[in-house]
Amino acid sequence: MATLNELLENFHDIACSPKKQLNAYLKQGKKVVACVPVYTPGELIHSMGLVPMGAWGADIELKESKRYFPAFICSIMQSILELGIRGEYKGISAIVIPSLCDSLKCLGQNWKYAVKDISFIPMTYPQNRKPESGKEFTKASYERVIRDLEAATGEKFSEDSLAKSNEIYNEHNAAMRKLTEVLEQHPSITAVQRRDIFKSAHFMLKEEHTALVSQLIEALSQVEEKKSKIKVITTGILADSDGLLKIFDEHGLQIAADDVAHESRQYRTDVNLELEPLEGLADKFSRMDHCSVLFDPEKKRAGYIVDLAKKYKAKGVVVLLTKFCDPEEFDYVMVKKACAEAGIPIIQIEVDRQMVNYEQAGTMMEAFIDML
Amino acid sequence: MGEGEKKPKFAVDPNSAKFKLNEIVAKHYKEVQEAKDRGEKIGWCASNFPQEIFQTLGIKVCYPENQAAAIAARGAGQRLCEISEAEGYSNDICAYARISLAHMMVGETPEQNMPLPDFVLCCNNICNCMIKWYENIAKELNIPLILIDIPFNPDYEVSDAQVAYVKSQFLAAIEQLEEITGKKWSDEKFKEIMEISNRTSRAWLEATAYTKYTPSPLNGFDLLNHMAVAVCARGTVEAAEAFETLLEEYKKAVEEGTSTFRAEEKYRIMFEGIACWPHLRTTATGLKSRGINMVATIYADAFGFIYDDFDGLIRAYCNVPNAMNLEHARDKREAIVKNTNTEGLLVHTNRSCKLWSGFMYEMSRQIGEDCQIPVTSFDGDQADPRNFSEAQYETRVQGLTEIMESNKGGKD
Repeated sequence: MATLNELLENFHDIACSPKKQLNAYLKQGKKVVACVPVYTPGELIHSMGLVPMGAWGADIELKESKRYFPAFICSIMQSILELGIRGEYKGISAIVIPSLCDSLKCLGQNWKYAVKDISFIPMTYPQNRKPESGKEFTKASYERVIRDLEAATGEKFSEDSLAKSNEIYNEHNAAMRKLTEVLEQHPSITAVQRRDIFKSAHFMLKEEHTALVSQLIEALSQVEEKKSKIKVITTGILADSDGLLKIFDEHGLQIAADDVAHESRQYRTDVNLELEPLEGLADKFSRMDHCSVLFDPEKKRAGYIVDLAKKYKAKGVVVLLTKFCDPEEFDYVMVKKACAEAGIPIIQIEVDRQMVNYEQAGTMMEAFIDML
Repeated sequence: MGEGEKKPKFAVDPNSAKFKLNEIVAKHYKEVQEAKDRGEKIGWCASNFPQEIFQTLGIKVCYPENQAAAIAARGAGQRLCEISEAEGYSNDICAYARISLAHMMVGETPEQNMPLPDFVLCCNNICNCMIKWYENIAKELNIPLILIDIPFNPDYEVSDAQVAYVKSQFLAAIEQLEEITGKKWSDEKFKEIMEISNRTSRAWLEATAYTKYTPSPLNGFDLLNHMAVAVCARGTVEAAEAFETLLEEYKKAVEEGTSTFRAEEKYRIMFEGIACWPHLRTTATGLKSRGINMVATIYADAFGFIYDDFDGLIRAYCNVPNAMNLEHARDKREAIVKNTNTEGLLVHTNRSCKLWSGFMYEMSRQIGEDCQIPVTSFDGDQADPRNFSEAQYETRVQGLTEIMESNKGGKD
């Protein structure tokens, strides 16, 4: 049985070296498919015996991507393309890019010409996802992804395999939700360590990650916490940068729960296993909510964040706003208002993947803590 | 000038297309206000929402995009953007959205007023930013939001699955609007509106196609003004007649060798992107002073919808320029370039429009190579005056001119 520290180190190694993970899977003879934010049908890819790996960009300098994107496209899209052009994804069989925001639509189009050796597979989700016609369209889009995956990898799809993968993904979702509850009781786990656990999920087969998370939960049950921290909620697309997360740790802040796309938003909704597998997967998407890239006419996400803060007795909400992410920028105003009405302090910190200086963010956070 | 003396105002001929088109826009805003005053429910509508729906139902709507363009052209873009920014909206958000949200907050905008809506009609075939913008309006005003989701099409052709999905939303939108306004749908009226809309679109497309003549009988920038009618009144007989008048005028101009481009047409270019409304004069003068006429733009296609039946209508709305993949969008532009003998491409890298600018570098490179024309871009914004540099614009346009000049030399 690994110790807590060994487990945390393991999560850290995986989270910080996706290339190593990729090469290890390739060495095992597996084929890997990159999955671009915010949602891709990982279950489908997994069911075909392929390894879905998250591609959310990296904190790198941009050079090549500038030939394709103007400066006002977010750094997540820019750095995904940059990594592709640089050959960092070499060995991957295909990349699935959804069109959930305008910049994602552009990433797919640019990918075809910028990274010609890795097939672009579009995933077109409907925004009116709840009515039957929306579910049917989701299903048709999944069927198109299946056809493209079969063509790119030579692997075959079967409903029986999907049924198994749906189950594996549901188990992983449950493990990640449980993890949030457990971590909330363990302020000694730092923001960087929390990020490592969530981030590593994108670079592993879900059954492997579930096993590691279960071990972690078991190891944590032996840990007695002595000191408490100031609890906050994070929200945004990404909370990935070490420099930024260290500010939380240096100032005694604990991320009690999150509404981060890269983290908990992935694990809120399960597949209904009683439905036909592919239908169940389309039905899952129809029930997903509280996200800036999913049509939300009543802006329920704002209330969801308030409820999250109340549930975890958080003192405040930290909005990590990815620069040039307009879905998040529009939502911010609504989230800010909802928090103000509920008397919950909120701070917005603009982030991107080229940030090197965190002094300003640190100063803002200090002022925020004074308010709490 | 002595007291009482007034310089005679230049009167536009009331039989001219310009007069008729201006009247249609003025009447459009007036009618929406009158409907609101009568207590009717009125809407705000996205520019490429299928107008056939509310025209058939006899519902009045107005267009925040047209309003924002007018406000920006009249110099108030920054003032309104700053109102939204003070509310917490990032200055990286589309300036049309910032202006519109500001108007929603203040209620009155003298540069171009519009009554506040009782419902909003959203269609994202131009961008997903539209959804977020309309969500916030609906929430703030506590009004219904009807979304017809037309996803960006990664393929060249529109799939049957997409047609079925959009058609179902079209029918749902009718039901929702009947419920909101109490008005009733008529299939007969729908047929009539489809016929009028096609007639308007045909006239609009035929008129705009006159830029194929050398010299062109029109200054391409004229289209930017006329486009407002193509957006807001496509389903009306008045618009059809006004565009038919415009078509006749262009036909006559070609015969007589006249043009609304008041300079010698030395170069013919395609202008890519939404106009830089706050700097319209500067951008237009920068071209005209060099004898450059804009003879090609995807705008004409953007608001011309030709179809034979209901399925055709759905496919037409799925095939608007910003919902197409790169190859389809490129081929459409290349056809225009070839048809108009365009000699250069000037791209507006529009800070407000991520979708239009986000794969334009690659697409314009391909157009330049395939059509063997020079390509230049400049940074600007459709409505926020702060994102434009006159010096950069001048330098870039001068560079483009020099290459076009050199190409002419080479061809001689």
